[in-house]
Amino acid sequence: MQEPELYDLSDDADYAASLQQESASVMMTRSDSGESTSSSMPEGAEVVYLKDNVTIHPTQYASEGIGGRLKLIKQGSSLFMAWIPYKGKIANARLSERDRSLYTIRAVPLTDVRSIRRYTRTFGWQYIIVVLSSGLAYPSLYFYNGGVKEFLATIKQHVFIVRSLEDANVFLVNDFQNPFQKTLYSLELPVSIASGPSASVSDGGEYPSFELQGRIDGSIREEIPGPSQNHGRQTHKSHDPARDLTIQVLEKFSLVTKFARDTSSQLFRESNSNGHGAIERSSSHSPPDISNDVSMDAKVAPGEGTVPSDPLEFDKMTLVWGKPRQPPLGSEELAIFLDSEGRVMDSDALKKRIFYGGAEHSTCKEVWPLLLGYHAYDSTYAEREYLKSTKKSEYETVKQQWQCISTEQAKRFTKFRERKGRIDKDVVRTDRTLSFYEGDDNANVNILRDILLTYSFYNFDLGYCQGMSDLLSPILFVMEDESEAFWCFVALMERLGPNFNRDQNGMHSQLFAISKLVELLDSPLHNYFKQNDCLNYFFCFRWVLIQFKREFEYKKTMRMWEVLWTHYLSEHLHLYVCVAILKRYRSKIMGERMDFDTLLKFINELSGHIDLDSILREAEVLCICAGENGAACIPPGTPPSLPTENENALLYTQEDEIL
Amino acid sequence: MSYAYLFKYIIIGDTGVGKSCLLLQFTDKRFQPVHDLTIGVEFGARMITIDNKPIKLQIWDTAGQESFRSITRSYYRGAAGALLVYDITRRETFNHLASWLEDARQHANANMTIMLIGNKSDLAHRRAVSTEEGEQFAKEHGLIFMEASAKTAQNVEEAFIKTAATIYKKIQDGVFDVSNESYGIKVGYGGIPGSSGGRDGASAQAGGCCS
Repeated sequence: MQEPELYDLSDDADYAASLQQESASVMMTRSDSGESTSSSMPEGAEVVYLKDNVTIHPTQYASEGIGGRLKLIKQGSSLFMAWIPYKGKIANARLSERDRSLYTIRAVPLTDVRSIRRYTRTFGWQYIIVVLSSGLAYPSLYFYNGGVKEFLATIKQHVFIVRSLEDANVFLVNDFQNPFQKTLYSLELPVSIASGPSASVSDGGEYPSFELQGRIDGSIREEIPGPSQNHGRQTHKSHDPARDLTIQVLEKFSLVTKFARDTSSQLFRESNSNGHGAIERSSSHSPPDISNDVSMDAKVAPGEGTVPSDPLEFDKMTLVWGKPRQPPLGSEELAIFLDSEGRVMDSDALKKRIFYGGAEHSTCKEVWPLLLGYHAYDSTYAEREYLKSTKKSEYETVKQQWQCISTEQAKRFTKFRERKGRIDKDVVRTDRTLSFYEGDDNANVNILRDILLTYSFYNFDLGYCQGMSDLLSPILFVMEDESEAFWCFVALMERLGPNFNRDQNGMHSQLFAISKLVELLDSPLHNYFKQNDCLNYFFCFRWVLIQFKREFEYKKTMRMWEVLWTHYLSEHLHLYVCVAILKRYRSKIMGERMDFDTLLKFINELSGHIDLDSILREAEVLCICAGENGAACIPPGTPPSLPTENENALLYTQEDEIL
Repeated sequence: MSYAYLFKYIIIGDTGVGKSCLLLQFTDKRFQPVHDLTIGVEFGARMITIDNKPIKLQIWDTAGQESFRSITRSYYRGAAGALLVYDITRRETFNHLASWLEDARQHANANMTIMLIGNKSDLAHRRAVSTEEGEQFAKEHGLIFMEASAKTAQNVEEAFIKTAATIYKKIQDGVFDVSNESYGIKVGYGGIPGSSGGRDGASAQAGGCCS
């Protein structure tokens, strides 16, 4: 058994400050380890509860927990809770030292705690979520050695704590109101999603819309139906905050989606649009009322069509939701964003502008390097020109590394031969129907090859993987310069490199995040996927791997990328795009009771039939709706998030294929 | 389109051995040297006739690169037949067969029929794997074997149909419980009385040319 070392907090200012009060003898009343912690305890504090192996799981992987020690510390009349992670090696590279200190709970006074929710899972361990008065919730604390009951009992000895009337598993701390007058509103629990699947769903109910407050200003909040009253509320046993949120978001969103769809389909009709309309039409052959087929889903939350529609509400929502897309940014307008020397004066404004409209082809060459982070927003024309020339020679240096490999040397350099062979095979299978790449001995195809091969030397650990040529092709098309395209590609791969890791961890964390987002934003659909063994979300694989490159025509893909690269609403907008597409076809998917195979085929065949603008609008709405809870669905370091500092060394575990 | 049975096929093998070209040659009867590399999986479908019964083949064409193996494995589920393809001009694609076979054995139905295809037989002058070696490997592992060329169409039709005939024979012999879809067989309209309808709609890529 490991003997964990504890963080010594005696030199921690916060911790010391919080404990500098009366003095009392240090006494341990509970300890499972029998190990004395008195050495690290300031005077005047008494540990009244101590439990080892209380663990949090910041990512979806059970193996990636951070173990620690949970303590209740009494000082005078005050009680503090602290959770200190163990020192020592964290097994997985995705959890950094920073995560560990990030999640540390340093002596929070129980007076700051609003409620503690206990979860007892049928399988697995008990865990709790502690919610502060501020609304902040700590990550779930898993009690691998048991002890939740004693934890609550100990608190009860020192602090006023009552069971919630609405939910026997919620304990209100310092709740001095008449419990009978307590409305659910004050009980709203922010959701800590990252840990494990949520409890099963049962009858729904109306919940207040606190979650929508995050990014939306107050005036908008008023337009959304306010918190419902508590009349006739039933107590239900499997009360799950995640589910509550799902329901309320779903209720809001189903209105919004319906509105957006009505509007957009109207737009399509007007603009005589493409195959998207055809798909919509064909989907009308599916059973219109999915509630017959998916009866349990209908009970959980109203699906589209079953939600009572109020045109007035739609009208109000037009002010907020589904902002119409703007025309792309042209060069004259771009000039307005730049000062006389070429610096972007307000990068957020520029990002926002591109988020809502994209960039005209003529401006892409200037804008993409900024969005990708190759050029700094505050760089001048001159600085960018200078960087361009120094980077060109740097590129040539890396390129030299493989160019000077002789045939004789290559014979003894299998990895090089394999990579080159693979790249040679793939560049001639990349966008060859475009005039830019078409025809025999196309010079641009050769440049594609040179860049990819150079990149595989620049980032030898990652090497080359299929899909990269898809990502590079539009970049070269836009930049029209080998070195510039290379450096933009490098910048993009800083974000998307993990998509191509040999162990596919970048892909898996994104697919996982999609599943959590669907669970949050469309629990009936989530349940459907669960029942049909589709939770691996492999049907979204191609979408995620190459950022929808195969789902849209070339120009539309580039528009999509610009929007995603702004990171304007979220770094992970692409995941919301996935959810938006799935939601758009949810009634067809569920109505036709698609199994994994059928679903995969269906999704594959959506290629070329998805309307970009309306799906971006829906993704935007979803992203806003989900707010912080959506962000909490996405494990730290999920691409395109930049990795945390400590992970850099272990970023790429790629090895060449040796079978 | 009615069919007596629907068989799910999966095409596997190293990248660049010609999996997508074999599929296209079979479904569309054409060779397209310029096509995009496969990301994830692509689908094709065609009707064939065996023993006077219309049979629909739904074919899954997978990405060959090693990095995607963990994804590819999920596609084996419910496949009745597999075409395991190597390139006769590239020795390493032959050397990797054992590893592909191991995947197939581990993740597919035990009764899945596997056809080993040595593709690019039109490039015999650059041959790196002899026909005998292919035959030998197939024999050792209980596979059906053919050399074929997606370019000239040589043996392409035969490979797909012979696989189907083998599956069909297994059905006749009672090896499969066809009501259990995990064998990769669906019973459709058009031949089997009292059977339930196939759910699979007409595929966009269906060639529709019955042989």
